[in-house]
Amino acid sequence: MTLSQRTKPLRVRLLLLLAVVGPGIITANVDNDAGGITTYSVAGAHYGYSLLWMMPLVALALIVVQEMSARLGVVTGKGLADLIREHLGVRLTALIIAIFLFANLANTVSEFAGVAASMEIFGVTKYLSVPIAAVVVWLLIVKANYKVVERVFLIASAVFLAYIVSGVLARPPWPSVGKAFITPSFQFEPGYVTIFVTIIGTTIAPWMQFYQQSSIVDKGLKITEYAYERIDVVVGSLFAVIVASFIMIACAATLHTNGIRIESAKDAALALRPLAGPYASVLFGFGLLNASVFSAAILPLSTAYVVCEAFGWEAGVNHGWREAPIFFTVYTALIILGAAVILLPIQSLVKTMMASQTLNGVLLPVILIVMLRLINEKRLMGRWVNGRAFNVLAWGMVAVLILLTMILILVTVFPGFLGG
Amino acid sequence: MAYLSELIGRPVTDANGDRIGRLEDLIAAVRGEVAPPQIVALAVKRGNDLLLVPYDEAAVLLAPAIPLLHPARDIVPYQSGENDLYLVRDVLDKQIIDTDGVRVVRVNDLELTRVNGHFFVINVDIGGLGLMRRLGLARPTEKVAGRLGRRLASNSIPWDAVELLPGNQPMRLKVSSEKIAELHPADLAAILSDLSRADSSKLLDSLDMETLADTLEEVEPDFQASLVEDMSDERVADLLEEMAPDEAADLLAELGEDRSEELLNLMEQDEADDVRKLLTYPENSVGGIMTTEFVAVRPDLTAEQAIAYLRKMGSEVETINYVYVTDRGDRLIGVFSLQDLVLAHPRTPVEQIMHQRVVTLGPLDSQDDAAQAVAKYNLLAVPVVDEDGRIHGIVTADDALDKIIPTAWKKRLPRMYR
Repeated sequence: MTLSQRTKPLRVRLLLLLAVVGPGIITANVDNDAGGITTYSVAGAHYGYSLLWMMPLVALALIVVQEMSARLGVVTGKGLADLIREHLGVRLTALIIAIFLFANLANTVSEFAGVAASMEIFGVTKYLSVPIAAVVVWLLIVKANYKVVERVFLIASAVFLAYIVSGVLARPPWPSVGKAFITPSFQFEPGYVTIFVTIIGTTIAPWMQFYQQSSIVDKGLKITEYAYERIDVVVGSLFAVIVASFIMIACAATLHTNGIRIESAKDAALALRPLAGPYASVLFGFGLLNASVFSAAILPLSTAYVVCEAFGWEAGVNHGWREAPIFFTVYTALIILGAAVILLPIQSLVKTMMASQTLNGVLLPVILIVMLRLINEKRLMGRWVNGRAFNVLAWGMVAVLILLTMILILVTVFPGFLGG
Repeated sequence: MAYLSELIGRPVTDANGDRIGRLEDLIAAVRGEVAPPQIVALAVKRGNDLLLVPYDEAAVLLAPAIPLLHPARDIVPYQSGENDLYLVRDVLDKQIIDTDGVRVVRVNDLELTRVNGHFFVINVDIGGLGLMRRLGLARPTEKVAGRLGRRLASNSIPWDAVELLPGNQPMRLKVSSEKIAELHPADLAAILSDLSRADSSKLLDSLDMETLADTLEEVEPDFQASLVEDMSDERVADLLEEMAPDEAADLLAELGEDRSEELLNLMEQDEADDVRKLLTYPENSVGGIMTTEFVAVRPDLTAEQAIAYLRKMGSEVETINYVYVTDRGDRLIGVFSLQDLVLAHPRTPVEQIMHQRVVTLGPLDSQDDAAQAVAKYNLLAVPVVDEDGRIHGIVTADDALDKIIPTAWKKRLPRMYR
């Protein structure tokens, strides 16, 4: 008797392998959460094609950061919070975790804003949709088989490929678009600098670095497989930025050219008109809802893991309140607070979603500096420390980011100071 | 008593009163598994260098500034030995295994105590209070707790319950720990699921074959598969021989056809044949959960002879609670329990002690059937026979119930996905 009756045939195993998509692709999709979609849409609608020149640079920055995160994960086999605690001391850990908690709360609020905004397209009031979503998210975390959830999310997020089609169908002036990709322009005006920092913050969110590294560590990749992982990282990053760029192009072509500003999700949905016609809002609403709910589930969960990992508390969804009190409290509290903030009278859900991404952009240098300190430690990384050129590039990025934040603060507090 | 975190960072001065540097680390010598490590040297950071100063050089350790007995240039540096543990570099802030509480925890601080002029590491602080102390917030925290009317207990574990993760041990100190080996396999499996992949691989490498097999049997096959992925084929083949055939079959089914073939060829012929046989049954059938390791005797054996036989075979079978009686064609004709055997007159042939009405299962029956049989007839194991009445294996109660009560499912998901 042969073994074939019981061992899984190669074909099935290959399919299973494909089904477990690389961390790079997943992170790329997580990039298109409520904050992301809103930011890119607003960027296209309010500034036309003039921000496109940022995208290749942002792509480069994303690749650099993701690659470092992946390399840290593969070489050390430990998560980022673990490394920070073991090598940078308790005080720094406490500070970073505090910042991280705050930023993630803001991001969770943004996700629930996304839920509210998308359901408003379907005419459901936020006072109904948000509490229900909060319960659903909590149940997803506690009861669901994560792998199944992740797969469903990934399939549903294929909706954003619609932006690529829509962007093409909207027939933008491609020569101008191409030119816009390589023509830098900058204004010292608060709105402009803000959106600048926001785009960076939503594409390279600090929380994503923790998430990405954990997911790489869980895959148990060996250093010998690292070359393959690098490809995955680059492809994932490029994919994320390409979709983001198309969201901007589609919005620029449909909204900016008609002078429509985005005040609510319905306005943003119009960008999908060339593709979906009257169903644009339904398509958009569905996509936004899917992205928001999934991210609303990942964020509190990954935050809870990071906090418990850093301080050595028991973690795990199957442990329940008694065995893992801090873990449970963190994710439950994030969900409740996130939802509660949205239920307050808020003028603009759109602005709320973007505010958290701006915060991401401001806090990004902190995480980058931490990663750079870790990745340059020979004792930790052996021969996989950063090369000199890489370091120059990475530290250069940090300097630019800090500079941008300072400019942002300056022009917000002192409008007109820099001639904006 | 002193805390490591309070000592680190203190200035170190020599006999002339000149400052040499800051205390960056304490080096302790580990003597045996259980005895607390003894501080043997100080690591003083001077500029970019790390100066290792023998413990005897320090006049007083617990002082705001640590004075040494000799001028700086007369100090003979400490030579690092094989059993040295750098407390800050290797233990502080790292994850360790608490073998008492059977969990993986993080070291927040170390408690040192002085005995006869020498310092020893006695406890590891893993609690919140230790964390607060590191942040310099111990006293405010205690005040707040006092006002809330709660006493904060220091949560620490004694050093003899501590097991360093294999990855964090000094390179030359990689011993297979007795403490770890004494843990129940189910507890070991629980610890494994709390460790990162790299650390769990290293922990498994340090186990002896028997413990390794017992531990792996406690986790689901797909988690098993990921754990043995990094092991050499020879080691896996030995492991498969050590495991019960049904467990080995489950693991092989997860590993893919090519690797399974290679591994089966590396195994001993008999063991491999048993496993191959079990692999022919569908996963969700009785054949998929049964084991071929049972005791079968001829009906003419006396009780005395049967007991002697059990003594010989006992360690190689899954259970000796039931002994099955077969005829020359391997057909099942009866069964008796260990209790029946012990209570019978030594020279009674087993034919007279055995029960002839035997509850059986077919190899293609479902696992539900197995669980029901176990529950209904209060059995510890159920024999599996084919249409001709030949016995092929037995299903033990724990295996029958395991599929119905999936307690192990949560162990199999990677940490992040649970």
